[in-house]
Amino acid sequence: MLDFEPFYLTLKLVTVTTVILFVIGVPLAWWLAFSRSRLIVLLEALVGLPIVLPPSVLGFYLLLAFSPENAFGKFLDHYFDVRLVFTFPGLVIASVIYSLPFMVQPIQSGFRMIPQSLREASYMLGKGKFTTLIKVVLPNMKSSLITGCILSFAHTIGEFGVVLMVGGNIPKETRVVSIAIYDEVEAMNYHHATVYSTILLVFSFLVLVSVYLVNQRAHKVHYLS
Amino acid sequence: MITINIEKKLHGANGDLNLQCKTQINSGELVTLYGPSGSGKTTILRTIAGLSQPDRGCIEIDNRTWFDSHKKINLKPQLRNIGMVFQEHSLFPNMTVRGNLEFALEKGQSTRIVDDLLQLTELEQLQHKKPSLLSGGQKQRVALARALVRRPNLLLLDEPFSALDSEMQSKLQDYILKVHQQYNLTIILVSHDIVEVIKMSKRVFVIEDGQIKKDGLPADVLPLNNLLSFLNHFDTKEI
Amino acid sequence: MNKIRLSIGIVFIFLVTHTEAQQSNRILIAAASDLKFALDSVVSAFKAKNNGTIDVTYGSSGKLSEQISNGAPFDLFFSADIIYPNQLKEKGLTSSDIYPYGIGRIVIWSKKINPQTEGMKSLLQPFIKKIAIANPAHAPYGKRAEEALIYYKLMETTKDKLVYGENISQTAQFVTTGAADIGIIALSLALSPTMKHENGSYYLIPETSHQPLVQGLVLTNHAKGNDLAIAFLQFIKGSTSQEILHYFGFSKPQ
Repeated sequence: MLDFEPFYLTLKLVTVTTVILFVIGVPLAWWLAFSRSRLIVLLEALVGLPIVLPPSVLGFYLLLAFSPENAFGKFLDHYFDVRLVFTFPGLVIASVIYSLPFMVQPIQSGFRMIPQSLREASYMLGKGKFTTLIKVVLPNMKSSLITGCILSFAHTIGEFGVVLMVGGNIPKETRVVSIAIYDEVEAMNYHHATVYSTILLVFSFLVLVSVYLVNQRAHKVHYLS
Repeated sequence: MITINIEKKLHGANGDLNLQCKTQINSGELVTLYGPSGSGKTTILRTIAGLSQPDRGCIEIDNRTWFDSHKKINLKPQLRNIGMVFQEHSLFPNMTVRGNLEFALEKGQSTRIVDDLLQLTELEQLQHKKPSLLSGGQKQRVALARALVRRPNLLLLDEPFSALDSEMQSKLQDYILKVHQQYNLTIILVSHDIVEVIKMSKRVFVIEDGQIKKDGLPADVLPLNNLLSFLNHFDTKEI
Repeated sequence: MNKIRLSIGIVFIFLVTHTEAQQSNRILIAAASDLKFALDSVVSAFKAKNNGTIDVTYGSSGKLSEQISNGAPFDLFFSADIIYPNQLKEKGLTSSDIYPYGIGRIVIWSKKINPQTEGMKSLLQPFIKKIAIANPAHAPYGKRAEEALIYYKLMETTKDKLVYGENISQTAQFVTTGAADIGIIALSLALSPTMKHENGSYYLIPETSHQPLVQGLVLTNHAKGNDLAIAFLQFIKGSTSQEILHYFGFSKPQ
């Protein structure tokens, strides 16, 4: 009997991670796109780090940080009774860090493509920065927003190294599909591994197709002029 | 009455420029800032709008201070209630014509003004279309109508018609004049087109290298050979 | 756009509320990979007579022990040796005595030849390019394999051909898939239905060539107050479990 728990876990992880990333990604991307501070270059490099870093490095440092044997982890454990290693919340934090650039960078480019005069026209009409962001800027960069969400989604689904190090392989808690597949192969349950892999493949493909369809429709309107 | 006394260092393609502007503009005047590209005329407009900050100086309107570098006052553009028409790319693509105008409405302001302006600029037939379906001339008409929704006292125009053909330019210039008369606005128009300058305003500032070189009637202030070419142009059109 | 937002919202809420319900009456077991089939059977037998949820994570004893030190929420730890449980005890992370549940054995296993014919010398066959053993750094079965190779003076000739599995299970997988031509794996795995299906054969390596594989289990601090964990510990000590372990080649410790 195939255990479907890994699918729920993966879906949960991916959804929660993408939502969190969107909420922190938009302001962060705005800042990176429009700030004139020279220090912004440092922040940009920091945000981009997870692309370059091997997942095991990130996983290793997170494990050190979260472990109750070390300062930060001990603090969390002692005062809040919160553990981040081998738990789902810990996975979420790890995924958010790991997929951050995949959300931020497309949105940052999207912001840069909005003509300055569009934002300025909104300011001249008495609208503040936040209203301008929500009503003028974001609605006109839907494809960048969608791209950011798809890339983070895809990147998080495929996550393995970081998850294994920070999450371990705890059933119903951190055994996401990518780990479950590895597990089944190790146990020589090739049949289960195949089923997991196929379902994941089909699901991811369907998600991408539907998103690209939506995106294409959004584009058609633009090209009419 | 607008009092401007500002200085700003500009870094242009042709080197650095020291922008210095000291003058007064009366309420209800329609003035033009005329000069070649890179002379600083757009920057002057943007500092009045609040989109750029001068290095030093002050800008006052009817005894209200909008900018004062000594007292560290710098009123946000949002609070200056200025109507502004940009050269291009300023209509919100995600809203219809009507939507663009309604976006400008302040809290509690009646939509009546939107209908009036649509009528004034002859845009009623197009009000439910999105900007991507409009021609250049139609777009700038919408931009003008939108700039007036909040009933500003000051209207700034940054080369609004330079991207259009001359017939469309002429038509839109007439709209400006109409609006000037109807709402008794103070209008500052930035232009590098002599014909436009002469037609539109009774007072021209000639800007060169960031300084106001001349200030007066078009006939007095513009170079003679240019005036001749204007007359030639005038000849082929209506008198 | 709104429909998409709504459906995402519904999915999100469903997922968040879904997996919260199963906290009580549950134990999480960390077990060495050589127990994969043996322990699965024991757990099934236990569940037939008891209520509760039992989840098992298999891996190398060293890695699991490390995870427990770092706060992993396991209730029971079945190691493939005694050393790792002892280390946990010294760190104050255990809540019971260490119970030796069986003695394991290592075997040479291959699909390509019958290791019984040549015994240890099977490893010297010229066609062999890769020999799989578990990683000695954290898998006790790997350590014992290493000891046996040294005892029979085969280390020098074989060390360049060794490939390390993350745990003894992955090691077995290397050999069954043909990634390695031959390997030293756990007897308990060789006796499992899955491995038997693979049509390989094995040679039981004499116990004298390595430290004994006395395998110990212990309750962790996390299991304190968990009646199900204590019940399971008792079950392991009982005759049903002992029979199952015996079937998979584990002998009783003295």
